[in-house]
Amino acid sequence: MQGYLWFAAKRFVQLLAVIFFGVSAMFVVTYLSPIDPVEQVLGRLSARSNLSPEAIAATRLALTEMFGTDQPVLTQYVNFWSRLLRGDLGASLMAFPTPAMELVLRALPWTLGLLLTSTAITFVVGNLAGGLAGYFQNSRLLKAFGIVTMGLQPIPYYIVAFIILIVFGYLWPVLPISGGFAMDVRPGWTLPFILSVLQHSLLPALSLVLVGLGGWFIGMRALVSNIVTEDYVTYAELAGVRRDTIVGDYVIRNALVPQVTALAMVIGGVFSGTVITEQVFNYPGMGSLLVDAVNAGDYSTVLAVCTISIAAVALAIFIVDLLHPLLDPRVRAE
Amino acid sequence: MGDNILEVEALKAYYQMSYFGVNREVRAVDGITMKVKRREVYGIAGESSSGKTSFIKVLAAAIRPPLRVVSGSATYDFGGPPTDVTVATPAEIDAIRWRHLSYIMQGSMSTLNPVRRIGRIFEDFAARPLGLSGSAFRQRVVEHLGHLKLSPTVLNAYPHELSGGMRQRVTIGLATVCKPDFIIADEPTTALDVVVQKDVLSLIKNLQTEMGASIVFVTHDMSVHANIADRIGIIYAGRLVEEAPTRTLFTAPKHPYSAHLVASLPRIGDTTQRPALEGRPPSLAAPPAGCRFHPRCPLAIDKCKTEVPPLVAVGTDHRSACWRANDVEPLVPGHSRAGVAA
Repeated sequence: MQGYLWFAAKRFVQLLAVIFFGVSAMFVVTYLSPIDPVEQVLGRLSARSNLSPEAIAATRLALTEMFGTDQPVLTQYVNFWSRLLRGDLGASLMAFPTPAMELVLRALPWTLGLLLTSTAITFVVGNLAGGLAGYFQNSRLLKAFGIVTMGLQPIPYYIVAFIILIVFGYLWPVLPISGGFAMDVRPGWTLPFILSVLQHSLLPALSLVLVGLGGWFIGMRALVSNIVTEDYVTYAELAGVRRDTIVGDYVIRNALVPQVTALAMVIGGVFSGTVITEQVFNYPGMGSLLVDAVNAGDYSTVLAVCTISIAAVALAIFIVDLLHPLLDPRVRAE
Repeated sequence: MGDNILEVEALKAYYQMSYFGVNREVRAVDGITMKVKRREVYGIAGESSSGKTSFIKVLAAAIRPPLRVVSGSATYDFGGPPTDVTVATPAEIDAIRWRHLSYIMQGSMSTLNPVRRIGRIFEDFAARPLGLSGSAFRQRVVEHLGHLKLSPTVLNAYPHELSGGMRQRVTIGLATVCKPDFIIADEPTTALDVVVQKDVLSLIKNLQTEMGASIVFVTHDMSVHANIADRIGIIYAGRLVEEAPTRTLFTAPKHPYSAHLVASLPRIGDTTQRPALEGRPPSLAAPPAGCRFHPRCPLAIDKCKTEVPPLVAVGTDHRSACWRANDVEPLVPGHSRAGVAA
């Protein structure tokens, strides 16, 4: 147990390092970007009202002081971290003066809910079906399942998403194709709202699951068809060990070790993948926010989205890392 | 069946495969007849791809496509109604597995599930046949581990935390904890170094004497056979070519192939060069006609090329399948004088 805590502590330090370097890189990128936040805000303000040149100059001075862009880089960098640690990433430029963090925190639950649920469903269903298909190689049902998922796998995601839109929005309009919830329900922890959210998430989730299943299915089936020839499986079969124990605890359990590692990597890619999903289904998550912010040149919101994404991905990988030794006792010997 | 616990009658088991419409047949077991007595250690020897593994697959009731039993039978008598594993239903096989018929696997890294504690593996394998659970089961296992000189703490260990010798003792423990009547041991010492080999061999021998079980012991290593087997059957190209009590086989083999196998054993102080056998074992997909050994046999005559020699008695308890059985001489004089090498 002490070994495990030591392992967890080391991984935690790694987590902090990943977040630190990732966020620092983000700072450098935005610092090098040609967009000057002061001019950006000024442009917005002066477009709506008739300001005198003196007023513009005064506002520019005030904004420069507020953003701190006249300071040396190092000071800016230190200020950036000290504000970040207090949860402040500055005002959003496109929704000035709403804090960028507030925009992100509003979008985050949508993305997390959609992605975690669909990734979990994909992982469980794909691996279970793949594992069974690898063990019961003559099952017609599993063969058919394999053909369908592997047929979907190579189709580009946006095409699958559009086909789903056409089928469920036009040919057989039974499910909402856009938005996070219906216009006529008030957000809150009420049953109509929760049902509406679930209903609206069905199609985006379905598109993610359909495209994601194939990879897990193929991977798991290949792993399992290797493992069934291992001595310990043959031996358990010779000993008349119960069939469900063999499939679950001997075959799938062993194949799960590399699959969980793969899960960590998939979670890493999940945040970028959501951009297309949210655009196609007009879903109010981080992907949509990021696209809007980039289009509007809103660098503090971009920074906020990226910071949260970096932290979330690093955290997800950290959790998977902590699970790994529990799955494979050989890792603990490290 | 009386004295015999296993009777194999004219057993033929072939691998039948079909590649792109072309049928291929590998005659891995081609007409083996043998009997194993109660409380006997029966050694099976033969080189790689001689069909010995396929033969014990049938004995262990692990007959899976593409391996098929074409004809013949392999019948166990465990006191109740005899079970012919070539025709038994899965339920009938399940009823004898581990309770009566168990198996020791080749010693290797992967005989035990790497992500399961030894205690759980014991539960998986033995709880149902023993009809015990909980602390009664654990007590029985711990008691049995004592016989194997293993401490109860191994039950909490994972396989990778044990040494190779300990793992093999665990495997033997798994195979013997239910006190089966018949144990099939497939190269149980092959992957171990000689010191551990000796340990494992004496352990198997002791358990066998204690429990009164019969063992079919498979290995290509003749020195291991010399140590443990009561009788030895030599398999060549899917057929039993000679069968004799261990001492007889080592001192007076009656088949040229067995004579070469026995002669291959090194002896301390003996520096004479061993006669090597030319050629390779025949392909079981297209075995030669007549005696399958004739292309490599120094004693071959024309009859050997066309007629299959039957396995007939050449002495008490001694059978050989050779047209010139009476002309076979031991190749290394030392063996005939000093007897068994061990």
